[in-house]
Amino acid sequence: MDALSHLMGGFAVALQPINLGLAFVGVLVGTFVGMLPGIGPINAIAILIPITFAAGIPPESALILLSGIYYGSQYGNSISTILLNVPGTASAVVTALDGHEMTKQGRGGPALATAAIASFFGGTISIFGLVLFAPLLAQWAVRFGPAEYFALMIFAFSALSSLAGDSLLRGLASTALGLLLATVGLDPNSAIPRYTFGQLKLLDGMDFVVVTIGLFAVSEVLQLLERTGAGSAALQGYGRVMISAREFAHMFWTMLRGSVLGFFVGVLPGAGGTIASFLAYSTEQRIVDREGTFGTGDIRGVAAPEAANNAAATGAMIPLLTLGVPGSGTTAVLLGALLGLGITPGPLLITEEPDLFWGLAASMYVGNVFLLLLNLPLVGVFVRALRLPQWFLIPGVAALSFVAVYAVNQSGFDLVLMTAFGVLGYLMRKLRFPLAPVILGLVLGPLMEKNLRRAMALSGGEWAVLFDSPVAITLWIMAIASLTIPPILARRGARGSATR
Amino acid sequence: MKDRRSERSERIAGVVIVVAGLAAGAEAMTFDVFFMVDPIGPKALPLLAAAIFVLAGTILALRPQHGVIWPERRILLRMAGSVAAFLAYAGALAPLGFFTATTAVVGTLSTLFGARPRYAFGAAAALATAMWFGFVYGLGLPLPIGDLWTR
Repeated sequence: MDALSHLMGGFAVALQPINLGLAFVGVLVGTFVGMLPGIGPINAIAILIPITFAAGIPPESALILLSGIYYGSQYGNSISTILLNVPGTASAVVTALDGHEMTKQGRGGPALATAAIASFFGGTISIFGLVLFAPLLAQWAVRFGPAEYFALMIFAFSALSSLAGDSLLRGLASTALGLLLATVGLDPNSAIPRYTFGQLKLLDGMDFVVVTIGLFAVSEVLQLLERTGAGSAALQGYGRVMISAREFAHMFWTMLRGSVLGFFVGVLPGAGGTIASFLAYSTEQRIVDREGTFGTGDIRGVAAPEAANNAAATGAMIPLLTLGVPGSGTTAVLLGALLGLGITPGPLLITEEPDLFWGLAASMYVGNVFLLLLNLPLVGVFVRALRLPQWFLIPGVAALSFVAVYAVNQSGFDLVLMTAFGVLGYLMRKLRFPLAPVILGLVLGPLMEKNLRRAMALSGGEWAVLFDSPVAITLWIMAIASLTIPPILARRGARGSATR
Repeated sequence: MKDRRSERSERIAGVVIVVAGLAAGAEAMTFDVFFMVDPIGPKALPLLAAAIFVLAGTILALRPQHGVIWPERRILLRMAGSVAAFLAYAGALAPLGFFTATTAVVGTLSTLFGARPRYAFGAAAALATAMWFGFVYGLGLPLPIGDLWTR
């Protein structure tokens, strides 16, 4: 089989010492940032981007490192959720229902083991999906013209706008902010300066690393300052991190269904790990929860969301790599990293950069094995990190952010810009504006504008060209559906819970 | 008990977003070029974004949804302190150098998070030293030594 021989070639790349080492560092950092509330994969990847550039790491190795942080964080986020009931990221919120319940019953160890095994299951099964479906999607997308790309990006924006926060209106406003920031600087077509206010330093545009670190890391520092003094939860004993063969058999089909579901949800823009884990949990509740044990410390209630959110993380790599169109904040940051490394992901990536694609896929297998080892026998080390005092951890992250932002241009101006975006990010969080769409808008905005202008130039200014092909029309319909269906469902859900 | 949720904040935010949208739109109208090859020019995307701003801001100003709970004054002051520290870092990095500026700012931040100054600045100095060696020697990333010390 063709894919198999390519994958073998990928392993040759992934098993090179530098790539093995970087995959290990990536998943280790990922586990930490996923676990510790207040850091998160977006911050960690944004901080590491300029540092990997400065260190001159080759593109495929840099991607192996940065992706390791992304999928590794999906393992780590269950640790603090299960032990402290403090989800590291939103995609682990459902895991708390049964996971923390198990901790309260003194079964924290089995809960951690379940999360690690289910994560491994979701992580590895979805890599099969990646190597199977990514080339197919790429073959199909080769025929995409600028009009189809434009429609695809509109779909990505509308899906994330309507799903990222709790209101479509705020999601759209955040996306619009990202798009506006994307236009700052010299317009590449006409060389007209846009929104530079006479500042020479803005002619090159806003660097997405500076904006991302400001919006996410600095605003997080401010938010943590607000919450500090609330007291931290005490760590309980959790027993042996192990499950029995019977328990494994008991949750096997749950993990399998969660993985498949999570993978497909992950491929769709906007949805991501959070929705995947919710869907997997509620699906399992309907299928296997005959005795009503979900929510009372059922291991299947941990296995379903953990398999799903890991599978979703891998699924989300597909549109990023084969279409060049990410569907979430974290994958948008990864796209920014790829563009910075001189690689434009798209349908030709798999054939033109086989080492990068297959090397990454193979390294994800390796990374998942590392993660299983880190999360089963070595979980105690991570748990100890949960005891690190906030006064040490958060200022440390701030210092790393400073270095990362400074490394972009060696300029103090960027640090001022970062601080300004930090204040803006804090205000946006308080007013419940989602931050991820800003990053997607900023990274994808220039590509969207380029495709729109190219399409219009080819058609001589005829707008109908945007709706000319079946693919484009399908994508427009999906965009409209993603804007209209979630609010309707939410309204119906609210009515349902009110009458119950 | 008086509800501390402030709907006014959302209304103000709505108005600010509308004004920002109008300003961005007005500025975009000046992005004029007449190329035959580029029928929509550099103003289409900014105008689209500005229109979304005006629409979203108007709805937010007229129909606030959640209200906002702002932190109390003492905490606001602490947050203002950290923003001041960030800005001071931007200004102090070149003259004072990485080690001094980082120790001062990270130490201040740790104090704001409730550490005793002795521990805060001690840990900050240790961190700054470790980062200096890691970045400068480990990764070859040039960090400023400080104009003040090299003169």
